[in-house]
Amino acid sequence: MIAILRMEGTNNEDDIYNAFAALKCPVEMVHLKQFTGGAKKELQKNIFDYEGIMIPGGFSAGDYIRAGAIFGARLKKISKELKEFVKEGRIIGGICNGFQVLTEVGLLPGINDIIVSKPQISLAVNDSAKFECRHVFLKHENKCFFTEKYEKSEIIQVPIAHAEGKFITSKRILEELKENNQIIFRYVNRAGNYAGYPFNPNGSMENIAGISNLEGNVFGMMPHPERVFYPYLHQEKKKVGDGKRFFESIIKYLRRGV
Amino acid sequence: MTEEISLNINDNKLIEISRVLGIGLNLEEMHKIRDYFYSEKRNPRDIELQAVGQAWSEHCSYKSSKSILKKFIFGIKAKQNLLVIEEDAGVVDFNKNYAYVVALESHNHPSAIEPYGGAATGIGGILRDVVCMGAKPIALVDPLFFGDLNFDYKKLPKGVKHPKFIQSGVIAGIRDYGNRVGVPTIAGMVYYDVSYLTNCLVNVGCIGIVRKNRIISSKISKKGKKGDVFLLLGGRTGRDGIHGVTFASAELNEKSEKEDRSAVQVGNPIIKEPLTHVCLEAVEKNLVKAMKDLGGGGLSCCVDEMAYPNFGAVVNLENVLLKERDMKPWEIWVSESQERMMMLLDRKKVDKVTDICDLWDIEYSIIGEITENKRIKVDYHGKTILDMDIKFLVEPPVYNRPHTVKNLKEREKETKEPAYEKTILKILSSPNIRSKAFVIQQYDHEVGARTITKPLQGKIESLTHSDSVIIKPLSKEYKGIAIAADSNPSLMKISPYWGAKYIMDEVCRNIVSSGAEPHSFADCLNFGNPEKPERMGEFYEACKGLGEFAKALGVPFVSGNVSFYNESEYYSVIPTPVVLGLGIIDDIRKSIRTDFKRNGDLIYLIGDIKKEMAGSEYYKLYGYDFGYIPKCDPDELKNKIKAILETKKIIKACHDVSNGGLVVTVCEMMIGGNIGVSLDLSKIEMRTDYKLFSESSCFVCEIRERDFEEFEEIMKKNNVKFHRIGRVSGSRLKIIDKEKSIILSLREIKEAFL
Repeated sequence: MIAILRMEGTNNEDDIYNAFAALKCPVEMVHLKQFTGGAKKELQKNIFDYEGIMIPGGFSAGDYIRAGAIFGARLKKISKELKEFVKEGRIIGGICNGFQVLTEVGLLPGINDIIVSKPQISLAVNDSAKFECRHVFLKHENKCFFTEKYEKSEIIQVPIAHAEGKFITSKRILEELKENNQIIFRYVNRAGNYAGYPFNPNGSMENIAGISNLEGNVFGMMPHPERVFYPYLHQEKKKVGDGKRFFESIIKYLRRGV
Repeated sequence: MTEEISLNINDNKLIEISRVLGIGLNLEEMHKIRDYFYSEKRNPRDIELQAVGQAWSEHCSYKSSKSILKKFIFGIKAKQNLLVIEEDAGVVDFNKNYAYVVALESHNHPSAIEPYGGAATGIGGILRDVVCMGAKPIALVDPLFFGDLNFDYKKLPKGVKHPKFIQSGVIAGIRDYGNRVGVPTIAGMVYYDVSYLTNCLVNVGCIGIVRKNRIISSKISKKGKKGDVFLLLGGRTGRDGIHGVTFASAELNEKSEKEDRSAVQVGNPIIKEPLTHVCLEAVEKNLVKAMKDLGGGGLSCCVDEMAYPNFGAVVNLENVLLKERDMKPWEIWVSESQERMMMLLDRKKVDKVTDICDLWDIEYSIIGEITENKRIKVDYHGKTILDMDIKFLVEPPVYNRPHTVKNLKEREKETKEPAYEKTILKILSSPNIRSKAFVIQQYDHEVGARTITKPLQGKIESLTHSDSVIIKPLSKEYKGIAIAADSNPSLMKISPYWGAKYIMDEVCRNIVSSGAEPHSFADCLNFGNPEKPERMGEFYEACKGLGEFAKALGVPFVSGNVSFYNESEYYSVIPTPVVLGLGIIDDIRKSIRTDFKRNGDLIYLIGDIKKEMAGSEYYKLYGYDFGYIPKCDPDELKNKIKAILETKKIIKACHDVSNGGLVVTVCEMMIGGNIGVSLDLSKIEMRTDYKLFSESSCFVCEIRERDFEEFEEIMKKNNVKFHRIGRVSGSRLKIIDKEKSIILSLREIKEAFL
């Protein structure tokens, strides 16, 4: 069973839910309070009843201070459980705002420690200083459990929709990410080359669009694979939706047995 | 706390009371109120006068427009009508189990005073109009009209904000609210004209989807029973948004900035988003008997309109949760604070609803109940402060205001042929033609994973304008809704009647170009001061044009809004009816887009291109204020619609001819396809500039060579004129017209357009 974690302002949960449901993967909406306390007793849930947690896009709590900061802070209440959850090989994924939450809560970059107490990555305001919604090209640089079904170096088309997606980290962490093959997606042009703005839509360091932890079971990306689950959702004509294999990869991993 | 006010005074003083209370009622109306309280044998209290002021405002009551709307716009019969005109939004048949919901309204006055908050709360309000029908909002639309962006700062009238400031504020307001609530903003328009300098127009539309057995009315049906309770939920009530409706029912002036700031509400999308979850879950669980949003006129209008005509209500005002402590009762009663919804519930089901509220941290309180006597009674800490006949409140006076119609005088004059290349580039780069990507891409138009044809179409690195956007409302069904919003101020300025017909024609063209069939319309009618006969004349003529055209097509208006008083002592807006068109496509996978697809394909011009140059971008560019205006004929349009839909499966790209004419249409299609064309217009008998820049009702279609016979045959069968004008080819715009040749590179075209 996959839990899709929602709170006030998350607003992409239906799209992710529908993607898993279309693939007949058991999936459930869970309000953050049902994990962290604050909901009625009979509504409380245990994260260990789930094999995976997906954090959807949106504007959790409005994202008025810093994208994902409040969601991250609330999620930290169950840091210990999350650490155990990841250690057991269960999966946690974040898309767009969900990626921002995972960096805020410290589950990414996940190099030496499963979870770090201070954020080591920032998804900062786009270089264009505005919200941008459009389709971009991504190159699948390395596989992780979320992208098993894509070919290495394959180029896919996926939409972005964010104002804060500029990937920034320290030189040391960047080197480690590269060394460990943790960089999963990079922004490229049609030919697959790193090409700067507008192909890199936000000014991310080294065109980084998505990364995983060292083990490959925690993953975050800014673009939205759930929005191209079906071919007819693409900007350009396609036979199969480029986002579909993202969900198939997750399901394949889960079926391997936790 | 409340003040008793004697109306036993002379007329001057009656008007003075209306002014001091800020309720904007005229003498005749004040007399009616005096007579009413005379029959009640007592003096009114301030809260009672306020309640009447809200209910009788132009904004809430449509007192100037109702008779004309009834004559032309309402009552177009169609089998898809489920619940139209009467409610906050129109409900239209979609398939066996589902209906779609449409609402369109203006937020003009607030946006002129406070662009960011005004536009944001416009989105907030229109979302509530859809949610209160029990529907899930699935798309937002926002046609915007601003003054000239290059207007000289030094010449700006006192108290007026510069169009650049207004534009950036309005767009940011829509972006920050719409993106946060997670409803895609997918269509609209941006138009500039100096007449919008002192009154920008910010129209907002929303489309929703609802299961037919979950449609909720705002009116309490006879199934309601005495003792059913009003649950107020969502945001708290504060001093923001006091007198929003009365301020929207008068002209703006230089004092508006200071005096009317508090009339603009403060939006909070992060209450709206969970509030929407709560409402829809309560509806899904069948817990709600009636639901209405709190908008113009606040609690006062909401409770009146819900209870009438079957019930009355008693409200305990002290139970309303407040943002600030020392609010006067009348302020609580009329405040238009955002993010509030009212539900009517069976007392036994309240806990089930409040449980949902608790999970989403949404505040609520029971504020009253319905009664069988048809009166509205408001108590405050044990004392009755309002007690009135509900009918008196909700049935305000209706006016047949005098109107004068200007006769249309058309004449054409000889002009010189222009330098073509330069003229084309100038038109492509003019503010009303050029790419609106800088607006569109700031809105999340993909959230919800249901946007099939995009607001910007074509290649990822070379995007162009669309005609309409197709949404797929249900995950398990390929049926889709095409959405387009249109107006045409430059034609409206010349003739409100023909302008209105052109708008109807164009919005249908936009829907049909995507492969969908027109199904319903909503209108937002933005006009000047209705107390002036010439403005009323414009309104009359426009409604006549819209209504006649829709009737001829057999497609109904299902929802709408009127916004008067869009004028100041400096400018009155061009009469601007905005029409939101909705179309149905049976299979979204068969939708058509505007970008050219393949080298070698044939290009056709569909329709009768005429020398109808008045109000065209071309004539405006050269300052020509003469010419004939396009006169759209619904029967001709019907043939074109039929022909295009019959050939849909072989059309590779389609785009309608509108602002800027044929050449702009072709350039836009080239940009999206990132490919050139080679055209020969010699067979059309007209001067080259008229062919290129006429805005007659036409389409441009791309067809594979192998399909041309079938295509031409179907056009002929439907009595549709067509010309084969060239091919998709190369990377230039190449036009031959007899001895003339015009050549522009794709790069030059893109540079001008983008």
